[in-house]
Amino acid sequence: MPATAYERVVYKSPSEYHYMKVCLEFQEHGVGLNVAQFKQLLVSALRDLFGEVGAALPVDVLTYDEKTLSAILRICSSGLVKLWSSLTLFGAYKSKKCAFRVIQVSPFLLALSGNSREQVLD
Amino acid sequence: MATLRRLQEAPRHLLVCEKSNFGHDKSRHKHLVETHYHNYRVSFLIPECGLLSKELKSLVMDIGPYYSVKNLPLHELITHEFINTFVKKGKLILSLDKDTYEETGLQGRPSRYSGRKSMKFVISIDLMDLSLNLDSKKYRRISWSFKEKKPLKFDFLLAWHHTGTEESTMMSYFSKYQIQEHQPKVALSTVRELQCPVLRSSGLAGEPEEACSALEFFDWLGAVFCSADLNNEPYNFISTYCCPQPSAMVAQAFLCTITGFILPEKIHVLLEQLCHYFDEPKLAPWVTLTVQGFADSPVAWREKEHGFHKGGEHLYNFVVFNNQDYWLQMAVGANDDCPP
Repeated sequence: MPATAYERVVYKSPSEYHYMKVCLEFQEHGVGLNVAQFKQLLVSALRDLFGEVGAALPVDVLTYDEKTLSAILRICSSGLVKLWSSLTLFGAYKSKKCAFRVIQVSPFLLALSGNSREQVLD
Repeated sequence: MATLRRLQEAPRHLLVCEKSNFGHDKSRHKHLVETHYHNYRVSFLIPECGLLSKELKSLVMDIGPYYSVKNLPLHELITHEFINTFVKKGKLILSLDKDTYEETGLQGRPSRYSGRKSMKFVISIDLMDLSLNLDSKKYRRISWSFKEKKPLKFDFLLAWHHTGTEESTMMSYFSKYQIQEHQPKVALSTVRELQCPVLRSSGLAGEPEEACSALEFFDWLGAVFCSADLNNEPYNFISTYCCPQPSAMVAQAFLCTITGFILPEKIHVLLEQLCHYFDEPKLAPWVTLTVQGFADSPVAWREKEHGFHKGGEHLYNFVVFNNQDYWLQMAVGANDDCPP
């Protein structure tokens, strides 16, 4: 097959989605959540701040680690601010105090596969 | 209304997609790899591969050490000896907050991305120019600033591309500053039954039902390296993400990730070796090489300013096709110039 011709395309804000790497921390130890409960928690966080319209925002939990309660979430770009603010203001689950830590945010999922701020030197 | 509109805004980002062939005289692949200096993570994916070849394995294991130095005073980087030993030509670029910048007493310029009230400033010092004129007013001022006016000290990560045989020069040069050598971390894995998008090297935009676009492929690659599930139903409560179509199932794929402080020269050698992967006929239609920069690096490519904003991403990805065509995707966030 002949070699392809050179072409360059610059896309400005092409990503329909933004991705967030988050971690849920509880004040007391030993609180466990399976992935469905975690997803439900996200929906209630959105509902608390933005009502039913917020709760209807489609959020995907792309990865979930039950041990560390950390996850990678996918949200449409127009819903990023709503999701992020809902997570920030979410303070308790079943009367247990908790907080979301947002570790990384990017419109590129590939950027979330590594985090230079987490680099540990031996 | 303005508040509602702002609720739906996300920071701007840029994705540059190029296609070319490694055989083209004007192909810029070498230049773009070698001018992206601060690389934290390099990974590659080879479909239909269970074991790494001897050449690739030795390249990966031998990618070279990097060094950490604690509390190194900045004035050590402008000495004649340092510049002559380690720096062929280069610039010292400082990205400082307003107070620190004013305290240094040096001339710089406001950051392009600090808004109306400049809170961040960039100072750029040409080291070769400096070392050729050690008696100049400029050198005396910079030296005075770093030694007396505002003696700045930082923890540094250093990587040195040297063509000679003096392996331990860096260790001995900085021996009074607790220098430590580190080896990059290497993670190898094989993924079974991976759904891969079908691509056509001549079409960046893809074609419905024939081939996926460069944008879809870039997202998919992220899902693979984040170990996301690629096979969800559209009604799934947890996640609806799925591999872009058309796709093909491959029995296995080899993933390799190297993290540390990786030199662009080494990345170029790795890219060349991946091109040679197709010297013999292979089942794989393409392989990928992804490079991610340090989120807090002051520059992305060459001297193009890089800012963290909310993500700090600056990364690029090669898709090397079996006919030596390639795609190059370069992605940056809000506080970045357009990639070259």
